[in-house]
Amino acid sequence: MKEKIQRQMFDYLQNLGVKNLVGVPDSTMKYFIDQGLKKNKILIATREEEAIGIAVGMSLSKCHSLVFMQNAGLANSISTITSLVQLYQIPLIFLVGWRGYLQNDAPEHRKIGEIQSSILKLIGLKSKIVKDDNWKLCCKWALKQISNGSSCCLVIQRLF
Amino acid sequence: MNRKEAIELITRKIGNELIISANGYISRDLFSINDKTTNFYMIGSMGLASSIGLGIAIKNPKKRIYVFDGDGNILMNLGSLTTIGTLKPKNLIHLVFDNGSHESTGGQPTCSNSISIAKIAKAANFKIFQVENESQFERILTKIKKLSGPIMIVVKIKNSEEVSGRVSLKPSDIKKRFMGK
Repeated sequence: MKEKIQRQMFDYLQNLGVKNLVGVPDSTMKYFIDQGLKKNKILIATREEEAIGIAVGMSLSKCHSLVFMQNAGLANSISTITSLVQLYQIPLIFLVGWRGYLQNDAPEHRKIGEIQSSILKLIGLKSKIVKDDNWKLCCKWALKQISNGSSCCLVIQRLF
Repeated sequence: MNRKEAIELITRKIGNELIISANGYISRDLFSINDKTTNFYMIGSMGLASSIGLGIAIKNPKKRIYVFDGDGNILMNLGSLTTIGTLKPKNLIHLVFDNGSHESTGGQPTCSNSISIAKIAKAANFKIFQVENESQFERILTKIKKLSGPIMIVVKIKNSEEVSGRVSLKPSDIKKRFMGK
């Protein structure tokens, strides 16, 4: 996604009431994260499971929360998603970078890139791919999901 | 002092404060000793009690949050101590009930026998206390009422034969009543 759009998307989510953003950085969304850091509205955790735990605490305090991560982090987080987020029905927005989307990405990303969509389906996390031309709709969709008490996932493809 | 005795003592002392209790025997003991709506019992997701506690502490600066953790649990998420120590929430009190073992899976040893969790927490900006008996524990619990966090109390406990029953509440109900719905 373009730099400008990533920054706009951060501000848009804040305006929609998604005030808490916690995660582990990913180059796929670096401008989104940078926008949050500039405004001091983002929290960087040491691992993705930790980020989910913090976001769950915020959600238990009735605040909409988003967790961002690379897809390697999604793989780390499967048990936390199934045995915490889904078990307790805690609504969170996940924002996950799609490394390995392009065939020529670095070797460590290829396998997870291939199976990412299947993993999301298997664990039952509804997802949409966010692009430069649909990001507002995706953000609104995600807000609707968490307002209804369900978690969901927005995916950003790495196209460089 | 075993875990049940320690949990009995602290729940008597802190009253209706918010508690996030780790999965395994800690939540089971707390549930059987002093069930209340302000307890958040974890069932799975081992290691994350302190992270959930941090999220709640950030959003509720006027309330005190007590995390009931175990040595095996915090050793799975040591990074959490560095995040907490960086943010320094004044209202977070982290109890580690340390029996040097993974009791609920058969008593396998943890590294807390050879490495001090309290020293790690101290390096991560926590105020630390270590207690080994009930009178020390009671004294420290009184003392910390006037201190600001993050605070860690490592409570050395003995394993016991007695095992509390499982938490019989539905996880979604644990959440709802904790949130006051």
